Amino acid sequence: MLLSILRVLTYILGIAGSAFLLPLAVAIADSDRRMALVFLIPLLIGWAVAMAFWFAVRKRPKVFDVKSAFGVVGLIWVAICIFGSIPMYFSGAFPSFTDAMFESVSGFTTTGASVLQEVETLPRSVNLWRCETHWLGGMGVIALAVALIPLLGIGGFRLIKAETTGPDKEKLTSFIANTAKSLWLIYVMLTVVQMLLLHFAGLGWVDSIAHAFSTMGTGGFSTRNASVGAFGLPAVEWICTLFMLLASVNFALYYRLFTGRLRDVAEDSELRALVIVVVASITVAALFESNASTAFSKTFRDVAFQISSVVSTTGFMTADYTQWGPPAQVVILLLFFIGGSSGSTAGGVKVIRWTILAKEIGNEMRRIVHPHQVFTLRINGKPGHESLIPVVASFILMYFILVLATTFAGAIAGLDIFTSLTAAASMVGNIGPAFGQLGPTANYGFLPASLKWWYCFAMLAGRLEIYTLLIMIARVCHVPKARAVA
Amino acid sequence: MTIFIIGAGFTGMQLAKMLVLERNKVVLIDNDAEKVRHASDELDCTVLEADGNSIDVLEQAGIASANAFVALTGNDEVNMIACQLVDSAYPDILKIARVRNYAYYSAVDSASRRKRTSGKDTVRAMYGMDAMVNPDVEASSAIHRAVEYGAVGNIIDLKDGFMLTTLGVGSDSVLVGRRMRELSSIDGWNYLVAFAEPETGALIPRGDTVINAGDTLGVVSRTDDVAKIAQFAKATHETFRRIVIFGADRVGSMLIPLIAEKRRGTLWQMLFGGKLSESQREVIVVDRNAARCQEIAKRHSNVRVLCGDITDEALMNEEDLYSCDLIVAASGNYELNLVTAAYMKSKGANKAVALTASTAYGAVARKLGIDVVVPMRGTVVDSILSHLRGRNVSAIHSVCNRSFEIVEGDISDKSRFAGKKLRELGELDGEFLLLLAKDANGVTAIPNGETALEAGSHVVLIVRSGDTELLAKICGK
Repeated sequence: MLLSILRVLTYILGIAGSAFLLPLAVAIADSDRRMALVFLIPLLIGWAVAMAFWFAVRKRPKVFDVKSAFGVVGLIWVAICIFGSIPMYFSGAFPSFTDAMFESVSGFTTTGASVLQEVETLPRSVNLWRCETHWLGGMGVIALAVALIPLLGIGGFRLIKAETTGPDKEKLTSFIANTAKSLWLIYVMLTVVQMLLLHFAGLGWVDSIAHAFSTMGTGGFSTRNASVGAFGLPAVEWICTLFMLLASVNFALYYRLFTGRLRDVAEDSELRALVIVVVASITVAALFESNASTAFSKTFRDVAFQISSVVSTTGFMTADYTQWGPPAQVVILLLFFIGGSSGSTAGGVKVIRWTILAKEIGNEMRRIVHPHQVFTLRINGKPGHESLIPVVASFILMYFILVLATTFAGAIAGLDIFTSLTAAASMVGNIGPAFGQLGPTANYGFLPASLKWWYCFAMLAGRLEIYTLLIMIARVCHVPKARAVA
Repeated sequence: MTIFIIGAGFTGMQLAKMLVLERNKVVLIDNDAEKVRHASDELDCTVLEADGNSIDVLEQAGIASANAFVALTGNDEVNMIACQLVDSAYPDILKIARVRNYAYYSAVDSASRRKRTSGKDTVRAMYGMDAMVNPDVEASSAIHRAVEYGAVGNIIDLKDGFMLTTLGVGSDSVLVGRRMRELSSIDGWNYLVAFAEPETGALIPRGDTVINAGDTLGVVSRTDDVAKIAQFAKATHETFRRIVIFGADRVGSMLIPLIAEKRRGTLWQMLFGGKLSESQREVIVVDRNAARCQEIAKRHSNVRVLCGDITDEALMNEEDLYSCDLIVAASGNYELNLVTAAYMKSKGANKAVALTASTAYGAVARKLGIDVVVPMRGTVVDSILSHLRGRNVSAIHSVCNRSFEIVEGDISDKSRFAGKKLRELGELDGEFLLLLAKDANGVTAIPNGETALEAGSHVVLIVRSGDTELLAKICGK
């Protein structure tokens, strides 16, 4: 078992190491020898270890049981975050390892909260790597590994399940590898399309790639201090708005769309709810924000961008929503607790969970009026999802417990109540910016190290949907078997 | 004819009785000693206590000389395997099985249809069954037909847009007191009365038969004319907005998708929900079995499923079920169906349809105010008989508690009536031509004295039950 775990770990680090090739290329293109080495050395180490394991144990069977699957996934994510922080730390751009680690976790979990005030002076390779972490973490590193090499044996689907988001996970194709390949292919295609569009809209190649990575991963890191707003190009803003929303849709739906199952897409409960949430939020916020002094097209563009950024848990910005009127700010605050779709790259509670709860509330009310009638929970037009109700309810409870605990941690570290609450929601929901002291124009650099570590934990827990990390910790701490309560 | 029947349950007995009456040689096989004793006391035929799905037993009983084999045990698998067994040794015997499991029935049905359309010459019947009979499918489609035509009475579909409606005559009807030959003078009446069923017993009407209030008539008409006939007979006809279906077991669960309309919205409605038009009917299903209710609720989003006892007054008031337009009692408890339908009707339901065990309840049920009574087992015997009656008979429907049979068949060129006009066939007592489908000109019509019978045309007749000789004369063997 330990062997299986180590093997998967090293393979994945090898693949993550390969991801250093892109910033390495940029560093070489910039003839930045120091940065090239910073990326090259971890890359070679990662490859060497993976190769060593490949030759040593490739013949051994790969087996994962339920218990270890969650532990492995947690472990892989912690390891990949540490691995990703190495070039950041050695680039010298970050004052301490804590900061580099926070930046890396924030990257891989697609949060996009930065400790840096000034990013424009960073080497281009480091900026690109920051955005690439979003892209890798968005669709999931394990899914990527599975798509590339026949990595997982028996029980391997559990690993992917532990990494993908949402209450109800399914294989799209009969082979996990094909499912992972299809999803990653769609992901890559969307990214390439956005990259090209951004380039044609006037961005340089590295900026286009970086922002496409950041958008599709719904991360939020940018190569500019003032985020996407810095370019001052409405076309770029609209492209990002569109792709942020596209990235917050379940990628399985694109697969269905491409395989011609249009009806499945049209009947998808989560997509409907997401469309309703986005349209309603933009309408309400735009109504409250429209004023005589600004052109409505500008207001509408800003509102649409900010709303899409928060609902997709990206965290880009073109305008400071903390300067908006209270009603529009409340809309943003509410969206902090909604999140994107399951199976997308977005974080948060996920629209489907709220949809299930809302439907159950409706059924509960009907049940009171018609005590004898039999009701069933229909999701995507299909009945019989009753078993999801306790799963979803307990998840949401866990989610809020984590948010409150994180709020408490922030308060201990000296943040005011509103800042610590919204920052907690932002961390667990993988959004990035918060309100108050940590608003969209601020950064997380000034926080004490202890709080940064706690936030790292909160971000990872949010990305892996809490249970994965809790189970890993429970197993590491050797919690005795649950006994029946007398 | 020699006919083997395995399974001496209700249907097996009823079928055997019919066949014995028609002077066929019947061999009835059952492995239950009690049933065998009862059957041999009751019927004038060979009754064996043995396993029907053993080829040795069947051979000893003389299956080699049999014309037909009917499997009617309570077990679908036994029925199917028995047919397969007989088929392997005697492929020329006509084999019919009762298959109640709808999954088997529909799977085999669609598979054999695919086989037939595949165009291969050597098409063998699936599992050796030349025909499958599913009583639930037949009963549910009979109920569905009745409901679609306003629950004025039982409906039998005939050929090419014609049908036979059984309905009672109200006391204020224009038909009351008229003789049959006077009916054509009533403005707008151009239908044919196939049979009348007064208190004294069912009869095929002659010109001087008088219609009385309370009689039950069987009327042949075009399908769209049911409402008009109902108006003539003063039997109320309506479309239903609120339908209560009692019972979601075999028949009920098949009935629900037939009665409840499919909601199919536009792409926009599918995306954003949105209310669909309100003209749709509301279907409420009541059953006491929780698991069954769950199943129905999952399968059909367009019906409301209530889990509870139909006799529970509180439930009925809570959901205001007495105010429904139509109660369809289709549970497996046939006596409760009658009681429920009658009770609901007395409490305010406009119309009542009940599924019953046999045709014998029909008269009683009509007295109780139940509009339509669909017998469960009668339909099985009918469809088996139609298979046994030979190649020229395509369907049989029993009416008037099995006094008469409505027979659909083709006139063969061997028939000695071929080429004659109806007027010349004076000798045909107790037979009556209802419909001539696809005559020489390819037209379907209600016949009159001048109508000529031609070989190859499709006819619908009403005959006295068991009168197979006359039938054979007309259609030719």
